[in-house]
Amino acid sequence: MGLLAPTVAILLGLILYPFFYAIWLAFSDKTIGNPGQFVGFRNFAYVIAWPQFSAAVTNTVVFTVCAVAIKFVLGMAVALVLNQQIRGRNFFRAFLLLPWVMPAFVVYLVWRWLYDPLAGLINYALMDLGIIGGPIAFLSDRSTAMASVIVAHAWRNFPFYAISFLAGMQTISQELYDSAQVDGASRVQQFRHITLPSLYHIIGVVLLLTTIQTANAFEPVYLLTGGGPSDATMVYTMLVYVMGMVNLRLGEAAAVATLFLPLLIGGVLIVTIMLQRKANA
Amino acid sequence: MASQTSSRRQFLKSAAITAGAAAAVGFPAPARAQRPKLVYWCYQFLKGSDDARAEFAREWAKKNNVDLQLTMVPWKEFMPKITAAIEAKATPDIVESGGVELRARGQLLDVTDVYKKAEKAEGGWIGPSSKIMVEPDGRVHTILYGLQGFMTIARNDLLEKAGLKPPPATWVELLQWAKKAQQPPRVFGIGQAISNQTDSQVWEDIMKSYGPRIADDKGKRVVLGDHKKEMWEFLDYFEDVWKSNVLPPGVVTWDNTMNNSTYQAGKVVFVFNPVTISLWLEANNPELLAKTGHYTYPKGPKGLVQPLTYASRSIMKYTKVPDVAKQFLLDSTAFDKMNKEMMHSQWAPVLKSYLDFDVWKKKPFMKGLVDMALKGEPQSWPDVFNDAWREQSTNCTVSRMLQRLVVDNWSRDKAFAETIDVLNKIYTKYA
Repeated sequence: MGLLAPTVAILLGLILYPFFYAIWLAFSDKTIGNPGQFVGFRNFAYVIAWPQFSAAVTNTVVFTVCAVAIKFVLGMAVALVLNQQIRGRNFFRAFLLLPWVMPAFVVYLVWRWLYDPLAGLINYALMDLGIIGGPIAFLSDRSTAMASVIVAHAWRNFPFYAISFLAGMQTISQELYDSAQVDGASRVQQFRHITLPSLYHIIGVVLLLTTIQTANAFEPVYLLTGGGPSDATMVYTMLVYVMGMVNLRLGEAAAVATLFLPLLIGGVLIVTIMLQRKANA
Repeated sequence: MASQTSSRRQFLKSAAITAGAAAAVGFPAPARAQRPKLVYWCYQFLKGSDDARAEFAREWAKKNNVDLQLTMVPWKEFMPKITAAIEAKATPDIVESGGVELRARGQLLDVTDVYKKAEKAEGGWIGPSSKIMVEPDGRVHTILYGLQGFMTIARNDLLEKAGLKPPPATWVELLQWAKKAQQPPRVFGIGQAISNQTDSQVWEDIMKSYGPRIADDKGKRVVLGDHKKEMWEFLDYFEDVWKSNVLPPGVVTWDNTMNNSTYQAGKVVFVFNPVTISLWLEANNPELLAKTGHYTYPKGPKGLVQPLTYASRSIMKYTKVPDVAKQFLLDSTAFDKMNKEMMHSQWAPVLKSYLDFDVWKKKPFMKGLVDMALKGEPQSWPDVFNDAWREQSTNCTVSRMLQRLVVDNWSRDKAFAETIDVLNKIYTKYA
């Protein structure tokens, strides 16, 4: 029992205490510097009725699902290419990590400049090529803002998928592919029946971790749009920031975060169960 | 030649004298142990000003034998950092931001005595300074050292080229001039955000110059709904601005730096911003500065609404060195110190003696600050600056209403109803 004490202490101090403290905050009228009183479900009622809350729910789901899907497809495609015997493979493998190792702050400021309607490279290029007649305000139009944020986020984070999948692919025996080729299996069939099933466990772990990470992403929205235009890119982390750090209402901010907890846990469970079933099939 | 050798007794004697003399001059160890420690969080925004304040603090600490721990905190991070510090019970002694917000949360030490001493020494407070500092019960918890407000910053050269003589007298005139002087897509008329960032506050100021106000005189009850007629006049004006294509593309997601950078790049005729834009131009683009005019806001149908924010120093109530901290606050307001500092700063004067600063003579573009300080009102005016007003302001409530119209294509009635609902929610919490 004594041997377990350090583990229990770390678990209590670093995980359980902050977790339950955050939940307690959601039930209090805590503001900065004041201890706060228990207020029941008042904060929850307040934030649910807040105009940006429903937008935050929808946007968080859209952002998470789309960004994870894009990162998955892009990461898998790049991993498949880099798993081939191509010239300069090691260089490309190292180069691939560049977006991921760059500080998020730098990445998103660069993307903001790329999207800029007056001085941005994308608008210049599209206009020079005659594709568009006038500049597009990618981040400021409701119809393009969320997609633009997702693209920037996916660009920064897909290398993690690619590297993880690549590592998994390298453990698959070449003999499996050789015998499949002898049996006349096409490239797509080899991918579907050998590569993909061999990667299920890695895919599971990657999706699990990155779904949580994507749903909790804050920098792309904060640095690119601030949640706007209007509430077009208002995700829940941005709402928590505005309520807690800008408006200094910690109880309300904690209530938003607590309300999202079941959604996040649910999403993670769905991903885990689906992959587990697939792996066991 | 006399012998230079010494006896053992003489050597010990001289060694003792030397050691004693060294100790008498320095007393470093015991003196250092008794030095009071002062933790000072300095607002970081404009390098010249930041350096001047930091340098003063270091010199002051040296002169007063204080162990100073100085931290430069970026402006945007100040409230989150002080928030975390309060929660962690690791607060500094002196903070240079958030005076009114921290006062409202009971985090600050009473500094009424410092207020009175500075008033006496510098000939009295000017403009809205006293209104900002003195609370209903007569107490003071934060000491202003500068006022700051959004000014109309204009490309005089482009206006004159279009046959116009700045400044525009009214908001309507400003729009007409912007249309006349702009040359899109190279130069747009008005570089003003309509986003979820606090610089969009300018729209609330314009709205108020058309008559609407948010809450009653007590700052408790939302009265915006009683001003529908004036609000519609303001929205007519806003929609004119939007449809005139005087705003650069992208203003609905601009952050607080975009109006600066767009003006500094020479791409707009008018912006509304503190004089920091011009301080940057002074160092980096004096040609553009020479073409730039600095004015108070234009008037609306109901007159001038020129709100002023402030820069202040406050002492956290947890300080263990209140007297040292108070002395620092008082010495920080002294004429000579501020005269030197203002050459590199963006502040409008707060004390009467400051009207004689060299900066107003040496930098003509700064003179507009004096006019602004004398004509301005505390931020939020005619509303009461309280927690409710502050929250609706940081929430960018008015700008969000405008975005509902032009981004989401809502009707005026629907956007106005949502705004009143949000305001009621916020004000009810603090009632």
